[in-house]
Amino acid sequence: MLDKIVALLKESGVHAWELSAVKERGWEFYFIRHELDQHRAKDLEYIQIRVYQLIEDGKFMGSASADLSPTATEAEAKKLIQDLAYRATLVKNKPYTLNPPRPGQPMEAPVDVAAIAEDFIRTMDALPETDTEDVNSYEIFVSDKVRRFLNSEGVDVTERYPDSMIEVVVNARKDGHEIELYRNFTSGSCDSEALKRDLSKAMAYGRDRLRTRPTPNLEKADVLFSGSDACSIYEYFVDRCDPAMIFRRMSDWTVGKPVAEELLGDKVNVFARRELPNSSRNQGFDSEGAPIRDCCIIQDGVVREILGRRMFSCYMGLENSFHPENIEVTGGTASEEELRNGPYLEAVEFSDFQVDEMTGDIFGEIRLGYWHDGETVTPVSGGSVSGSMFDFVKDMRMSREQAQYDTMRIPALTLLKNVTVTGAEG
Amino acid sequence: MKAPFSAYLSGIKPGLQQLIRLLRPDYDYVSVLATDSKGLTVRISRHARSVGSETMTTERGVVVRVYRDGQYSEYALSCFDPARPEAAAAEIRQALDAQLALLAKTGVKPYPTPLLPDEPVTLFVEKETELLPEETDAKPLVDKLSALIDKMGEQSEELIECMASAQSTHVCKLFLTENRDMSQSYVYSEGSAAAVAMREGRNQIGYQSVSGLCGPELFDQLPAAGDKAVKTALELLDAGRIEPGEYEIIASPEVTGLIAHEAFGHGVEMDMFVKNRALGKEYIGKRVGSNRVTMHEGALCAENVTSYAFDDEGTLAGDVTEIENGILKTGICDALSALRLGIQPTGNGKRQNFAHKVYTRMTNTVFDSGTDSLEDMIASIEDGYLLEGMESGMEDPKHWGIQCIIKMGREIKHGKLTGKIVAPIIMTGYVPDLLGNISMLSPHREIFGAGGCGKGYKEWVKVSDGGPYLKTKARLG
Repeated sequence: MLDKIVALLKESGVHAWELSAVKERGWEFYFIRHELDQHRAKDLEYIQIRVYQLIEDGKFMGSASADLSPTATEAEAKKLIQDLAYRATLVKNKPYTLNPPRPGQPMEAPVDVAAIAEDFIRTMDALPETDTEDVNSYEIFVSDKVRRFLNSEGVDVTERYPDSMIEVVVNARKDGHEIELYRNFTSGSCDSEALKRDLSKAMAYGRDRLRTRPTPNLEKADVLFSGSDACSIYEYFVDRCDPAMIFRRMSDWTVGKPVAEELLGDKVNVFARRELPNSSRNQGFDSEGAPIRDCCIIQDGVVREILGRRMFSCYMGLENSFHPENIEVTGGTASEEELRNGPYLEAVEFSDFQVDEMTGDIFGEIRLGYWHDGETVTPVSGGSVSGSMFDFVKDMRMSREQAQYDTMRIPALTLLKNVTVTGAEG
Repeated sequence: MKAPFSAYLSGIKPGLQQLIRLLRPDYDYVSVLATDSKGLTVRISRHARSVGSETMTTERGVVVRVYRDGQYSEYALSCFDPARPEAAAAEIRQALDAQLALLAKTGVKPYPTPLLPDEPVTLFVEKETELLPEETDAKPLVDKLSALIDKMGEQSEELIECMASAQSTHVCKLFLTENRDMSQSYVYSEGSAAAVAMREGRNQIGYQSVSGLCGPELFDQLPAAGDKAVKTALELLDAGRIEPGEYEIIASPEVTGLIAHEAFGHGVEMDMFVKNRALGKEYIGKRVGSNRVTMHEGALCAENVTSYAFDDEGTLAGDVTEIENGILKTGICDALSALRLGIQPTGNGKRQNFAHKVYTRMTNTVFDSGTDSLEDMIASIEDGYLLEGMESGMEDPKHWGIQCIIKMGREIKHGKLTGKIVAPIIMTGYVPDLLGNISMLSPHREIFGAGGCGKGYKEWVKVSDGGPYLKTKARLG
């Protein structure tokens, strides 16, 4: 089918084109407690075509895209390409070139869906549950994905990789009161030890959440992030270095410029990584066919490389750019023990922690935190944290130790200073 | 005109009916949902413009649900050959048997569920629309949106980016069992305008959306949305930070919708009752809000982006009164959860697309209107805020905690708007307190359907929500 579409695209006379096809064979298992609610299998294929046309003697370039059903006939595919060729003339963008073929190493990982699914099922069966902390329900998703990308410049890349996810709801109860904690882990295959460790920690958090006090009205406090929510903080740094943000003036970060005028705290290093252990996005090429390489985006708090998708990269003259999939962050100068000095609020569970990459605003309702007043540690819940990354980047601290959350390896502890903490006390 | 049902689905229907007949001897229940939904998307900004046929709900595929030995299983495929249903039947048996072998090997026991009833239903619905997205010439729309962002951008030098988007989807679904033959076709559309303003290196975004159960004719409403987006972005440049605390608030209809969605939308999705994941289960028949609070949920209770005729399990659409005068009456339920709870399904079984599992999901979630004017509400507040614009929300059905991220608050002092704006705002609290403090509701009601809703952090579906201006108390930060 793809060869036929390529032939049709070449015959169509369009200026340029991209073709992306994903085949997915997946298994899914849904559990209530440890009983099987439902099992599902899927055999899917997605094809997307994007066509480019030059307008007004090459002054502008337009594009149009569509999904093509794998059940489409040749006549339907031809009609679709004709429609796209017309629609692409309707929108006027500054011209740019598609990715040319460049050396790279496509990912070709063997995938055994049944074996990975079995690992997840057996791991969940072996969790150290107790009478008061256990698993409410979980959903296991395992896929074998084959992704092929072609374009009119001659790029033709095929990659195969495992893509897994497990969603787990953990319960904890005491004196007739029950709470839940939600976890969603993505990964390549099943890392049993990491899963057991993270879910055991979730059960411990559940125990603590049942003995919380309302978060005090701290007004301003140092807040320590010790879980996956810190990924959002570091995604802010990556997003601010995206050419789509910079070209449109939504980010004023540029190569050679520090991320803030006066950096008083740790100086962050951000790296794009082609591979991280068991990441669900270990790929040799990005979704537009650009080879992914290891490189430094921010070094000692100074922007070193702008990375992102092709269109805005071209506009900024960044020929070797790509969209980074895996990120590593270093730069912490303190040990975990040193960061845990003095009064601070350790926030470990939020309703939905968010960092807005455009405005820099951070928000999160606290579901579980630990207020360390310098002498005692009190589990707290309710209230919220808020503030602006524009202010926090100037004086943030990080641990030397790292933790990995699927596609991000980041400092195990991140300390933001002078965060607004709205309490939940009456 | 009527939105015509998919010729593709009509063409494969005999093959799907044969597939059901082929599988039926091996299973006690077989259903098929086949989808063929087409779309149109135009996105225009100063620096990036595109036209596409993909929307959040465009799809083409088939999912087969079967039942045997107390266990439901499903197989989703994107390539069904109507000339060879026996090949699909063999593929389905083989894949599901391989899964059962793994389950036997690992000693997994089923969560027993009764057999779905299969009373005969024949339904063919084609809803009204003026235009079809797949037949709409994109040129006038591109021109309209381009003119809109040019006009938006002219309004201030502090605007660094303006964006407009228009999406329209023609949904076609076919649901078949031995006894059911249900087809539906409808068109929904959604659009938005956004403006980004910058001052001293800091950005603010204004955003306004439109949505409806109609075709691309909806986008005539976008210019007004553009004006509001620009006004909001520029106002936000002067916004201050709120002093955290508990305030009397007036929720605008958009914020009211967010509260409805997060408070007693997710909280009464009854697949959560099956798992004991929702406190609402223990509160049926009890007070959860003031006696002014009445809330409806269902595909039939409003006409917007998810007003279908039947859900993804072949259950007819409904209109459920969830809360009546402050008393929680019932929740919403998909078909399998209804079997497990011994109740009737409400027509809320939805999939992200054919490749995804059914969950209990919201459709239109709306507070009923009241009789109080907005002016009277403002006049009744000594120290509080009028909250406008929603960013996001998150609920905790087990604990009834709620988090709403809100675009801005307009300060009210001594019964009057002062002109001062604070932003952004995080509203947190305990749902029964928030609803219990509702003391005034306006007659005016609006419904918003431009966003998506996830279950946890996945399974994105279209929903709409809304209601009137309402006055209550909340903790703001």
